[in-house]
Amino acid sequence: MTVMRRIRAIPSWQVTLGVALLALGFLIAAQLASEGPRVRYTTQERTPLVETENELQTQQDGLKAQILDLRAKVQTIETQGEGSADLVRQLNAQLQVARISGGLIALTGTGIVLQLEDSETPVPPDGSESDYLVGSRDIRLVVEQLWGAGAEAIAVNGERITPTSAIIDVGTSLLVNSAYLAPPYQVTALGAPDLYDRLSKAQGFIDFLHARSAGYGIRVSVAEPATVDVPAFVGTVTLRYSRPIASPSGGPSAAPSASPGGG
Amino acid sequence: MHRRSSQLTIAVVALILGILVVIQLRSEAGGSALAQLSSQDLTVLVANLNARNDQLRSESSSLQEELATLTANQSRGDVSVDEITADLGRVRAYAGLDPVAGPGVMITVNGPIDGAGVEELFNELRNAGAEAMFIADIRVVTGVVVTGTPGAAQVDGVALTDGFDIDAIGAPDKLTGSLTRSGGVIAQLAATQPDVVVTVTPVDRIEEPATTRTLVPAHGHPRL
Repeated sequence: MTVMRRIRAIPSWQVTLGVALLALGFLIAAQLASEGPRVRYTTQERTPLVETENELQTQQDGLKAQILDLRAKVQTIETQGEGSADLVRQLNAQLQVARISGGLIALTGTGIVLQLEDSETPVPPDGSESDYLVGSRDIRLVVEQLWGAGAEAIAVNGERITPTSAIIDVGTSLLVNSAYLAPPYQVTALGAPDLYDRLSKAQGFIDFLHARSAGYGIRVSVAEPATVDVPAFVGTVTLRYSRPIASPSGGPSAAPSASPGGG
Repeated sequence: MHRRSSQLTIAVVALILGILVVIQLRSEAGGSALAQLSSQDLTVLVANLNARNDQLRSESSSLQEELATLTANQSRGDVSVDEITADLGRVRAYAGLDPVAGPGVMITVNGPIDGAGVEELFNELRNAGAEAMFIADIRVVTGVVVTGTPGAAQVDGVALTDGFDIDAIGAPDKLTGSLTRSGGVIAQLAATQPDVVVTVTPVDRIEEPATTRTLVPAHGHPRL
């Protein structure tokens, strides 16, 4: 009875304040917890690096837009001469095929989108945190399995996969075509309407799901929209070391230029 | 007076609460994933972005030159056959539709390697700037993957025999250095597949055939 009387005697503003402080405490805890899965670094020497990265990323976005614009203008002028000669018409048709083959044209068609996200499973004390994060090997394996299942064009978070695309780890994120990508990772694949059926039956993909999803809780989800869009590759296609030849005479044609490396 | 100070206290707490909610929502919505990278990772990232931006600038200036020539020809009423042909050759070589030759490395793989191991070598070569690759008479273009268990690796249904080669065109010293660096892909293969021996030999000239694949998709079309 005395306790009830004492509770009733508490002014309402104190109750309100108490509830607000409780919410404050909850939010602070949530904020700290959300920083848990991937380590955050907040040392001061990083600030200039982050600023430089942001600046370079902005420059890259601008350069990409500029290249797409220039390509469109070049293509427009090249095709304007189309009516003037059969030769030009033929060349332009071949050029369009080559551009599509090289991934320089954005495509749309049937396909699937796979999303890979870090595990939400708590890392056991004797476990390795990296096993619970999506890494370059996961993305490479999914891309390889998609090619194997018959995918005709693939992009990862908007970066088109081309013959020269490398997928590498940088800390807990990825570099694809030297572009910085952060999770979650969306792998968009264009292909036959039964692409997912084929993928889900591929032993390599089944093994991947078993090892990474069942084993470490890596979250893999699939969407099959009516159409998927795969962007064009925006980068250099000028080869510095390779020269077109009529036809190869078969394998390396010169003696080694230096002593072997590796082992 | 007492009532007023209590209202003020609640207002201050509510303000802090609001700010925290916004911060929380922003960080939950993705925020900057950069915050999760160490200084060392950021340095690698900045170096990669710099390299990519240099390539993009170079590509942009090539396109600007091409556009200027095309525009000049057009204004004179000329047809730019030479420019279109040059453009076609450049893109076909890049896509793997034409045979190419150049300096690079020859990688000899002995022992029971698996498909994933070969793909690791491909990825490292691409990362080191390989422009064209070739394995078991097959040009490595988009869609070509090496699969299979150790000793039973195959590419496009063709089994890789023991002692097969991978040829890659690019800067020989850069390709060699990247493959053979301490802790690099060959060192990792030596740790995970100890029976596999990988040898890298810089070569002055490699000739690679064109792909025999059709690279134009059957289930997609250019997005307008």
